[in-house]
Amino acid sequence: MTSRRDFLHHTAAGTAALSMPAFLQACGGAAQRATTPQAAPANPFAEWFGVSREDLRAALSALTANGADHADLYFQHSRSTSIQYQDGIISRASTTIDQGVGLRCVVGDQTGYAFTEEITREAMVAAAGTAASIARGSAAAAPREIRHRDLPHNFYATQVSWRDVGIDRRLPLLRRAAEMARSRDSAITKVELYWTDSDKRVMMADMRGNVLLDSQPMARLYVTVTAERNGQRQSNSANIAGRRGIEFFTEEQLETVTRQAVERTMILFDAGRPPAGEMPVVLASGPSGILLHEAIGHGMEADFNRKGVSIYSDMIGQQVAEDFVTIVDDGTIEHERGSINVDDEGQPSSRTTLVENGRLVSYMHDLISARHYGVEPTGSGRRQSFRHVVMPRMRCTFMEDGPHAREEIIRSVENGILAETFTNGQVQIGAGDYTFYIKNGYLIENGALTRPIKDINIIGNGPETLRRITMAASDGHLDTGGWTCGKDGQSVPVSQGIPTVLVSRLTVGGENRG
Amino acid sequence: MADPAELLARARDAVQMAKEAGAQEAWASTSRRREVEVKYRDDHIETVQESTRRGLSIRLWVDGRYSTHATTDLHPDSLATFIPEAVALTRALEQDPFRTITPPALFANQPTDRLDIEDESVRRIRPQQRVQWCEQIVGAARQHERIISSTTGVSTNEGESASVSSNGFEGTRVSTSAWCGGEVTLRDQGERRPEGWYWAGGAHLSAVPARREIGALALADASRQLGSVPGPTRRTKMVVEPRSSGRLLSQLLRAANARSFSQGRSFFMEKIGERIVSDKLTLIDDPLMARGLASRHFDGDGISARQMPIIEAGVLRNIYVDVYYGRKIEMAPTTGSRSNLRLALGEKNLSELVEEAGSGVLVTAWMGGNVDITTGDFSFGLRGHLIEGGEVGAPVSEMNVTGNMLTLFNQLSAVGNDPWPYSSIRSPTLVFDDVQFSGADAP
Repeated sequence: MTSRRDFLHHTAAGTAALSMPAFLQACGGAAQRATTPQAAPANPFAEWFGVSREDLRAALSALTANGADHADLYFQHSRSTSIQYQDGIISRASTTIDQGVGLRCVVGDQTGYAFTEEITREAMVAAAGTAASIARGSAAAAPREIRHRDLPHNFYATQVSWRDVGIDRRLPLLRRAAEMARSRDSAITKVELYWTDSDKRVMMADMRGNVLLDSQPMARLYVTVTAERNGQRQSNSANIAGRRGIEFFTEEQLETVTRQAVERTMILFDAGRPPAGEMPVVLASGPSGILLHEAIGHGMEADFNRKGVSIYSDMIGQQVAEDFVTIVDDGTIEHERGSINVDDEGQPSSRTTLVENGRLVSYMHDLISARHYGVEPTGSGRRQSFRHVVMPRMRCTFMEDGPHAREEIIRSVENGILAETFTNGQVQIGAGDYTFYIKNGYLIENGALTRPIKDINIIGNGPETLRRITMAASDGHLDTGGWTCGKDGQSVPVSQGIPTVLVSRLTVGGENRG
Repeated sequence: MADPAELLARARDAVQMAKEAGAQEAWASTSRRREVEVKYRDDHIETVQESTRRGLSIRLWVDGRYSTHATTDLHPDSLATFIPEAVALTRALEQDPFRTITPPALFANQPTDRLDIEDESVRRIRPQQRVQWCEQIVGAARQHERIISSTTGVSTNEGESASVSSNGFEGTRVSTSAWCGGEVTLRDQGERRPEGWYWAGGAHLSAVPARREIGALALADASRQLGSVPGPTRRTKMVVEPRSSGRLLSQLLRAANARSFSQGRSFFMEKIGERIVSDKLTLIDDPLMARGLASRHFDGDGISARQMPIIEAGVLRNIYVDVYYGRKIEMAPTTGSRSNLRLALGEKNLSELVEEAGSGVLVTAWMGGNVDITTGDFSFGLRGHLIEGGEVGAPVSEMNVTGNMLTLFNQLSAVGNDPWPYSSIRSPTLVFDDVQFSGADAP
């Protein structure tokens, strides 16, 4: 049991956290692109959730009985499967069904919220009454018509829904991955795998009668190994994740993730700590996108800004970085963990440029903040589940390529480090201070990579760090591992990426200095 | 008083359904929790949330195979499909010789100590009362010329759960909790907008301090950060406030469990019975603590709760061992998960220990960081204050502390008498000698 204090450690005081998921998700490969969710039924209200148009109308009427600027229902039925491989066998499997409906009534920036796991008209109307108590006006008109709207895109079509994949198709993949990991190095003593897949069906109905449905797949494979050498033990892990189907788990994908897990473990035997203090930090392409998530991403979520509590609150239009720095949050990249066809308020997903050629141009908005600022929503309104209120959240955050070459960047550093893999990060939204934890990296001495390093925390200040991005290469790509972002006690899947960049000065946790 | 009889009946039904579907053994748990939360920002209500959640989870042992399942769809027709499907899925897995249901000897003699974790007055708080408390907190929290924003909240939980096993275990737990808190953002020099917070609560409403005091403490937590600058790189003493020392202890205990041992991933391996840290440290898992936030009569395996020393005067005595991993690594089960933690306390409080330290760094908040539980290597970000001349000095931020957990806890030189009451980890002020900080100075 965690106490409220522990919970708030991450969520109060403008703190948000990013961590590797406990499990890894696998992604699927050459899926056909479809224009509607492949599993969308002919009569979705009834087939997915067992409700009628009359049920929806009754719940929406109760929800707007005291008036509302916005009101909506969010139905969810998710089915997930997780499997653990340990000590040579499939030692455990789990299935979870999570269903319910969240009911929200918004007046200005005030929200009344309730949910029920029982999807009946009586339970929904009762919960609607609770949520509607936030409003004090007269009843809004009930929707005349309930209209099912098609999705504009499908960014995560899969060959077959996870609901239709038998357990017998998953088990051979785990056995194969375990065999690959174990055979890669004779020092490997333990291989542990954690698999999860899920299909989350959602239906959003707003007070104007618009109804959208989406079927959101997710899969992860997480590989952890322990190795022993000369009486020493080391362990490390790697994972692949995405909105993918089972077709993604090819021999090649399994090979890549198990190789990463073993290589990242074996190098720890030779790794040490860098000196403590400030130094130049080169961030390797891909996973180092964690920098963007923490140093700027959270601070650009519009809820913090409309409240004035983000360090970026007064900076729109200002030059915050070098000309070559363009930072984007994009929910439309196929099969990415952070991609969404529509956000959890039914708004189309989009590509939102946060920083364009060094200038701060846009926050990420949900409906409440978009109305506050008088701008179009950016499709960034997300929630963990039907139990949670919507907030502006990141999707897939990355930086566009810069003008330099990776070798040139490393050569330019006299004494510093290269950061390659990460486990978690955190930020204080108002002070702007952020951190992330480096699991693997290298010392850079006189422009060359010398010794491997491990287990050091980095701490810096967001706007300061943006100003100190002095070089960026043209080798940007997205991290293939899965990340989960925590904010106000809500977890959502996100993605990130970056080209190799140089931050001219950052505080590096290290040893042997006094 | 809540009555978990209906939950017990549902759990018994689920076990019966599993047996009928072919499971040799089953362990079902049902729960229901009512949650009410009001959040108030500046001068008006921001969100009101009220809901009751419920759920069923079931563990299955089928032909030497094992699986677990959970659902929030409790409709009898749904369960009539869900449970047989779960049993069928289990048959597709591999046999695991270490998977057995908890032997009855481990759940016999369930303790009957009065935990006192249910408070009727929490159930009776009226909506208007919650709003008034928010107004009182915010009134005190906004008393600063640099105020930008304040958010306050009142949150309560009323939970009930029941567990039933096919081999004779039955247990229930009924609890409440009430929390009030505030978060305050102030305008600092330059771009910085430091935020402070204070949340307090417990199983009983009486655990919550005066609302105005909460607001004042949240404001004080923000205002003490004003003028903060990057701290220095140096080796020096580290004093950790009670509110933050719990995180160090929970990180230390991440390695103290049988699962980590079984996978070769624990810096405590081969050290049970040895002195591993400073003799100042005595750490006890206490599930029977009155009004403890994690108090319980039994754990997830049904194992009867009892006090368990983890570390006694620096000697590692016990780790967390559940039924499954206990069989795997041939250790007797203790309990599978942490409950409340308390320490053998020292004689002095935070300000006396700061005075005694003379110079060093006072840690008031951790920022990120992690521990490699195989080796114990760690690095954490932090903010706090310099300690100069035995007093709390200038605020500092953007610092890391780096080392190894066993080395760090060997350098534990003092334990305070001031445990933090608003957590299941009752952690007091902790003082460590000769800790490596990295800050602003270039190497």
